[in-house]
Amino acid sequence: MEFTRRDFIKLTCSGALAGPHALSGRLAAQPGAPERKKIAIVSTVWRPLSRAQHIGDRFIVGYPRDGKWHRPAMDVTSIFVDQKPQDDLSSKRAEEFGIRVYPTVAGALCCGGDELAVDAVVVIGDGGDYPRNEKGQVLYPRYEFFQQVLDVFEKSGRGVPVFNESHLSHSFEKASTMVAASKRLGFPLLAGSSLPVTYRLPSSDMPLGCPIEEALMVAVGDTGAVGDAFEALQCMVERRKGGETGVKAVQLIEGDEVWKAGDEGRWSWALLEAALARSDILYGLSSVDSRTQDLVRNGELPRVVKDPAAYLIEYTDGLRGVLLRLNGAVGDYTFAARVKGQSELESVQFLVPRTFSGALSPSRADFACLARKIEEMIETGRAPYPVERALIAGGIFERCLDSGVQGHKRLETPELAVRYRAPAEPQFCRT
Amino acid sequence: MPQAQPRTGRPKIAALATVCYQHSHAQHILDRFLWGYGWGPRHHVPPMDLVSLYVDQPGDGAFSRERAAEFPLLKEYPSVREALTLGGDKLAVDGVLLIGEHGRYPFNQKGQKLYPRYEWFQEIVSVYRDSGRTAPVFNDKHLSWNWEWAREMVDTAREMDFALMAGSSLPWVPRVPAVDLPLGAEVEEVMCVGEGRFDHIDFHSLETIQCMVERRRGGETGVVSVKAIRGKAILDAMNAGSWDAGGWDPQLFEACLCRSLTLASAREGFSHIYPEVEEIPESLTGVPFAYRIEYADGLKATVLHLALLVGDTTFAARLKGRRDPLSTLIYTQPRTLCNFFSAQVNAIEKVFLTGKAPHPVERTLLTTGLTAAGVESLWRGQKRIETPHLDVRYQPPPQSLFRRT
Repeated sequence: MEFTRRDFIKLTCSGALAGPHALSGRLAAQPGAPERKKIAIVSTVWRPLSRAQHIGDRFIVGYPRDGKWHRPAMDVTSIFVDQKPQDDLSSKRAEEFGIRVYPTVAGALCCGGDELAVDAVVVIGDGGDYPRNEKGQVLYPRYEFFQQVLDVFEKSGRGVPVFNESHLSHSFEKASTMVAASKRLGFPLLAGSSLPVTYRLPSSDMPLGCPIEEALMVAVGDTGAVGDAFEALQCMVERRKGGETGVKAVQLIEGDEVWKAGDEGRWSWALLEAALARSDILYGLSSVDSRTQDLVRNGELPRVVKDPAAYLIEYTDGLRGVLLRLNGAVGDYTFAARVKGQSELESVQFLVPRTFSGALSPSRADFACLARKIEEMIETGRAPYPVERALIAGGIFERCLDSGVQGHKRLETPELAVRYRAPAEPQFCRT
Repeated sequence: MPQAQPRTGRPKIAALATVCYQHSHAQHILDRFLWGYGWGPRHHVPPMDLVSLYVDQPGDGAFSRERAAEFPLLKEYPSVREALTLGGDKLAVDGVLLIGEHGRYPFNQKGQKLYPRYEWFQEIVSVYRDSGRTAPVFNDKHLSWNWEWAREMVDTAREMDFALMAGSSLPWVPRVPAVDLPLGAEVEEVMCVGEGRFDHIDFHSLETIQCMVERRRGGETGVVSVKAIRGKAILDAMNAGSWDAGGWDPQLFEACLCRSLTLASAREGFSHIYPEVEEIPESLTGVPFAYRIEYADGLKATVLHLALLVGDTTFAARLKGRRDPLSTLIYTQPRTLCNFFSAQVNAIEKVFLTGKAPHPVERTLLTTGLTAAGVESLWRGQKRIETPHLDVRYQPPPQSLFRRT
């Protein structure tokens, strides 16, 4: 070995390789510089590879952005974590970076005082040990965290931007009150996962105002991961002609009924081909000998997908949407749509970075794309995309699960009359 | 469904491979011709038939037997000549895949693996001469370990007027973000950071550099010197702070690490953090090595291989008059399918259908020469090698060729 650790240390001491984020400048205000914004992070748990780490760490040590290591001009001043498992990182972060961990949400927001003392709140209710309901949803206390945030805002007579990771709540009713409260008090609320904002292959968005007739999303993973995929579907279809006008009915079908529904035209095999053509991770025979596969035609799907599910969505304006859960067949998230008057189908992959071996890349740069959007809201005071996206996506998912526990029947969903317009500018990472 | 009889009008393709087993280049390329692959919004099956296969080191032959069983049109032949003539007297195919990668071949004293790419090319040409007819050839990766032979392959293809496409899959894959070097840009310095072992993976990084910089103002005018540095000397280079001081532009290095989607964590407890160098364990750097390349028009290029610190290939360029470097990730998909071969196979199909190569083969010729010169420099104790023979001049295709669909 010619390259020793001591050599590295010598090098660093010379400063030549200190890199773009020498930490000495942290929290040390430059004279005359604008005051740095303060962030409170409220999380279920902060442990290795948790979403609190994938998001929270980026506001502490920075993240890559446009080919540079970017350090947000803001400071995490306080943390609340609901659970502290053995591998808890919140105390380590606190110790190293001069952050305080508070025993309550209010404490974190008020930095130990009586009034709101931060400029933004980042709520990450994912990970940790929480019960599931009969529909299979993990009961993360996002709504409860939000209520405690609201209490502080109300007592302080002001609100600040709030980011809520993933769906607002497992309950559409609770999520609706969260959105209503943000409008009533007039603070920006951004919600969602990394899928809508991560890089795409190819790097394209649905043309704004295009007449989409039918859309299909392929998702994999557990209930939480599949739930996030509804938001990926929604971020594409919300750009259609007329904008989002809501969903009138949903139905969850499972098992062999899923393939039958495709044969009956309740979802489109052509769209599934368009989506799977974007997939870079196929299983089944590909796991055996790495062959490429035409999964739509080679008959393998029913064999390799043990628990298929089709979440059928009837939008109010006539758009038909479906999310197919294909665990065992694929390993990535893909989307396809048919646009009226266009012979070529649209399709993309939402890039969740993996290592060459196929494991999720621990650096999860898709969350760097999300951190950028959170930072944008904190800087500008405006949510870069409407919170209604996460609201309706969570609502569709929950109502589909309701359909599942109610004998897989079709459910009318007048409550999902959520209307909003997509931002004209694509919001996913392209630079 | 696989056909039992060749359909008229469809080109017939022969494949020559050193080996053919799971995860070999031959598998990934041939399977795409046989089973097809995702392309745009559909599963695309090439409109041509892979009819013959010669495997130099078949091993137990199980893999190719299985494929031949699934695809009755595909037959194995015991020699290059017979694969091309389908056992007859004359050339009987319309395109040839020459995949000389992997397998047990001797190394020379410089450490180059002596793949028989040139030898097979000679056999192909001999069949062409005997038949009074030629067909396009795709040569996987660099043309030959030997510069003179590579030069001869290019000259022969030109003389006999058949399309010769060669090179790595990396120029074809998607980029994240999806950017190319602007055509005609004034480029001062470039860098490619990748994982790598010399004369094997380093060819990929070198061709990544070449497919980008050939688009600069004036096109390609050749390389005047190559110097390898390795191990401890990398530390001095990192320390230098600029090309002139023996290193590189630190912003280019930062840009490359920031484009990586697989940057390993140099600090325990963090999943994504810019590596403070004192934190990087040796297990992530291995024995790093770099090539410093001086082009005839003054452009400087560094290819830096950092073992496991990154698991992908990134590129950054300092363009004149631009504050920040242009940078991107050359996106190679996970191993299960190795879909990075798909875009290259799509380009090969077009060569077989049109008889025209997508870019001047001089790109691969120059990269072949750079690879050999890098190895030479390492062998000669990291000595700077003057490369008057690399006065390779060509103009790039004006359109970007990387995958954007």
